[in-house]
Amino acid sequence: MSTKEERERIELLQGTLDLLILRTLLRGPAHGHAIAKTIEFNSDEVLQVEQGSLYPALHRLIKRRWISVEEGTSENNRRAKFYRLTRKGRKQLKVETSKWDKLAGAIARILRPAG
Amino acid sequence: MRRGRRILEELDRDIREHIERETQDNIERGMTPEEARYAAVRKFGNVMRVKEDTRDVWRIAWIEELWQDIRYGLRMLRNSPGFAAVAVLTLALGIGANTAIFSLIDAVMLRSLPVEKPSELVVLRWSARKAPRINGYMSSGDCPSNLRFGAANPSGCSFSEPMFREIRNTNQFSGVAAFANAGPLALTGNGPASMISGQLVSGDFFNTLGLRAAAGRVLELSDDSPTAAPVAVLNYGHWQSSFGGARDAVGRTIELNGVAFTIVGVVEQRFTGITPGSDYDVWLPLAAGLRISDPRMWDNRQDKVTFWWLTILGRLKAERPILQAQAAISGIFRNEMLHGSIPLFEAGGMPGPPEPRGGGGPASRQVVIGGPAPAGARAVPPPPVGGSQSSVVVGGGMPPAAGGQGSARVPAPSAPVAQGQAPPDTPNEPRTFSKPDDEPTVTLVNAQTGLTGSRGRFANPLYVLMFAVGIILLIACSNVAGLMLARGAARQKEMALRLALGAGRMRIVRQLLTESLLLAATGGILGIVFASWGSHAIVSFVSNNQPRPLTFATGLDLRVLGFTGAVSLLTGVLFGLAPAFRSVRVDVTPALKEGFSASTKISRGGGRRFSIGNALVVTQVALAIVVLVGAGLLVRTLQNLRSLDVGFDSHNLVIFGINPSLAGYKDAQIDSFYRDLQGRLTETPGVKSASYSMVPLLSGALMATMFHWPGTPQDRQSESDVLEVGPDFFSTMQIPFVAGRGFDSSDYGIAAQARQSLFSGSKQPAVPTPVIVDQAFVAKFLGKENPLGKRFGQSTASQDGPASPGYEIIGVVRDTKYNDLRREISPKMYVPLSALAASFEVRTAGDPQALVPAIRRTVAQINPNLPLRDVTTESQQIDRLLFQERLVAELSGLLGLLALALACIGLYGLLAYEVARRTREIGIRTALGAQRGDVLRLVVKQGLSLALVGAVAGTGVAMGVTRYLKSMLYDVKADDPVTIAVVGTLLVLVALAACFLPAQRATNVDPMVALRYE
Repeated sequence: MSTKEERERIELLQGTLDLLILRTLLRGPAHGHAIAKTIEFNSDEVLQVEQGSLYPALHRLIKRRWISVEEGTSENNRRAKFYRLTRKGRKQLKVETSKWDKLAGAIARILRPAG
Repeated sequence: MRRGRRILEELDRDIREHIERETQDNIERGMTPEEARYAAVRKFGNVMRVKEDTRDVWRIAWIEELWQDIRYGLRMLRNSPGFAAVAVLTLALGIGANTAIFSLIDAVMLRSLPVEKPSELVVLRWSARKAPRINGYMSSGDCPSNLRFGAANPSGCSFSEPMFREIRNTNQFSGVAAFANAGPLALTGNGPASMISGQLVSGDFFNTLGLRAAAGRVLELSDDSPTAAPVAVLNYGHWQSSFGGARDAVGRTIELNGVAFTIVGVVEQRFTGITPGSDYDVWLPLAAGLRISDPRMWDNRQDKVTFWWLTILGRLKAERPILQAQAAISGIFRNEMLHGSIPLFEAGGMPGPPEPRGGGGPASRQVVIGGPAPAGARAVPPPPVGGSQSSVVVGGGMPPAAGGQGSARVPAPSAPVAQGQAPPDTPNEPRTFSKPDDEPTVTLVNAQTGLTGSRGRFANPLYVLMFAVGIILLIACSNVAGLMLARGAARQKEMALRLALGAGRMRIVRQLLTESLLLAATGGILGIVFASWGSHAIVSFVSNNQPRPLTFATGLDLRVLGFTGAVSLLTGVLFGLAPAFRSVRVDVTPALKEGFSASTKISRGGGRRFSIGNALVVTQVALAIVVLVGAGLLVRTLQNLRSLDVGFDSHNLVIFGINPSLAGYKDAQIDSFYRDLQGRLTETPGVKSASYSMVPLLSGALMATMFHWPGTPQDRQSESDVLEVGPDFFSTMQIPFVAGRGFDSSDYGIAAQARQSLFSGSKQPAVPTPVIVDQAFVAKFLGKENPLGKRFGQSTASQDGPASPGYEIIGVVRDTKYNDLRREISPKMYVPLSALAASFEVRTAGDPQALVPAIRRTVAQINPNLPLRDVTTESQQIDRLLFQERLVAELSGLLGLLALALACIGLYGLLAYEVARRTREIGIRTALGAQRGDVLRLVVKQGLSLALVGAVAGTGVAMGVTRYLKSMLYDVKADDPVTIAVVGTLLVLVALAACFLPAQRATNVDPMVALRYE
């Protein structure tokens, strides 16, 4: 989507995408395209997600049993895979979120020591 | 991962759905369907990569990829079975040859001693600037010693028993043990009389080594005392073979040299002897040595500091550094050497115990170093004539350090004797072994490296062979690399396609490397099979040529497997890497567009490729030349030694050793026993004549003596080889007389009298001992002077002994070789033999081997309790003597041919490929009027020039390398032009043959077919 300047977009840090997916699924099961859209929308399109990279991440989360997958029908009656956060995933999200907060805080303090 | 597979199966559909949704979204935002789809795909990214990445999530990636590579590789190899077979076979030969030789090196040199914690065990080794002035020295042959008359910087591992006791008392070690050969022992009381080998060991030997008994008990300290009951401990293998492994063997009594010993136990199976390659049937306490030996030979050595005969082992204490222990032991040794804590010399006016030393007493000096005790050597008394003679018996196995040419006999089962004494001292000089500036010291050497035994003799041949097989492997590698290159060229299209489809270059390199490693691994497995055949064949070859079977256990151990694995891996990488990288350096477009054979561009690019192919072939040829030249030199050495004129007729001669004193015969009885046996043997049907001598000729054993030659300065001693012989020796051996006569019975009477006076101190005969000398002796000492009647070696009575009438020459015979084929013929004198152990020579009319049973019966008729030793034929003995030469010549010859074959297969492969590649070009040439001969020349020229370049390069390398073979060669120079010419010619001829087939095929190219082919 070329509405924003390239330089304003941010490449995702390794592992961050996993966190974003978990966060997105907290609201309820969603299919792949919906997850991509949600992340894009929620970040005001700042985060550049190559949609394809979603799939390895999803599979990684499935493998770790942080999310589960089920067949379902989407809003316009098409068959689709729905991804759902598992209990383990919910716990993991908490851990990852607090880790992220710490990291972000630390980086912010370093970058703006006065503030 | 079944969960993953199910999800993955729907991945395609999921992605498709995803993109459709995005497209839909885009359309809803107002794009045209085409725009919408394009944007969606762009947004999604590289579908292939996504799929690959997603799959990666589900697998432990490398294992799966490896497996995939392996399956793919196997499929490729299955598709080209010819290539695979040639490559695997080539590699198997290369790897197999290396594994075989390495497993021998492993068995002979690397395997650790069969004792507890071998790394703690050290062997004591003395060294000094000058030989210590002692009068007895015996080396067990377990450890290289360097002790010859007047040799500078002598060293050795033998010590006196008092020294051993002192070291044991110092508490420097957690355990100390000493051992010496007991020599061949006549075993009676267990079936027919037989000869076995025994070792004398100190009472704490087994405890120090940490060895247990498999049955009964091992020797203990209390057994090792002169008053203790004589006991023996058996070797496990001997227990199994001679006692059937019977439990009740323990407790039984056997007779060794006529002395009753009780078997108290059997040593655990792994221990057959402390030194690799030499094992013993029985172990006896040191104190038993006196009982089983001739007291004259034994010489009360247990209490003498001047008789060095024990090899000493120490087990290091954990808390004491080796250097500290070494300094302490060295201090004791030095003290003993310089100050002689115990009265040293009995001779020269110092009161000594009155022992039966013989008239020659301390002045007669006899050294037997190293080697296998020839039948007589154990019982070698001082020389027949008293006085100032000295005689040296240098046993065959002259310590390897001293050149290793000694003989082909294992110096193990011997009890070499040395008796010697310092040169006469001036009466006032204090009698000590050494002076301070002789710097006597003791070094502690790790037992693993110190106890070389017969290893030293195998080291050189094995290293040479290892070098040869290393080269073979290189040839095999470059051969297979050549094949891979050619094949890589054929697969260029495939690689280009895979690259174009987005495969990573590294992935392709890995794929190709996997293929070559697969080849190498298969070759390695097959190679292990080849190797086990090969090493068994070599070991049995070596073993058949030893007086006693060798006990080097070959076989696969972890070290050998590790070696083979490493070699295979290295091989795979070596020959696989270059072709692999070459294949991915493809310019994709032209390769795809034009295919490889029609493209001039590729051909030109190919020029570079084939220059690698050419280089590989040249390398192979050069390496083959190196192996061939080395092999040629060794084969010529063997031929030279085989065709050597030894000076006597070595065919149809049976030889056996016998020692009547072991059955209780004494002096004169021995002589009459010999006459009796000689007579009966001569009457045996099929026997032409029989005689005996102290040691057989060409058995490795050598004796020498020293005497004063008239006309030389009074204090100067001359040296000559000496051999004591029985009646009719020269006619039996067919050594012709040049002048004079043979020994008659009065000559033997004089010799017997001289011997008698030696031992009993009775009166010396007034007449000199008659001797027969050879031409070399005449040439050295007499020149043109008439030798007959010449007297030498007279001495007047002195502190060195009573007066001696010396020798008188009564005959001159033709020169013969003595102990060894390589040794130059030196001055030699023959002396009448009296009352010694001897070796009989029986000249037969026909096949000597067939007469052995009859000979055994004849001996048994006289005395059934007299065992024969070393029953063999002269030809077998020479074969044994030459076994090292035969081993390296035959094996390296075989390896040379293998190298030649591999190199020519390489050449053939390259040319065949070239012809196939240039079919079109050849077709055009033929169409344009090229003759059959032109085409033939085209191919042969390439092949031959490669072979020639390789041959020249190889010859250069060979000249540089064969210098290291020098010590193994005989009568042929390391850069022998004949060998090089023959090898070069052979190679060119074989190369021509290798060129011929492809060239033939080239001439058969039908121009029409070739042109239409594309």
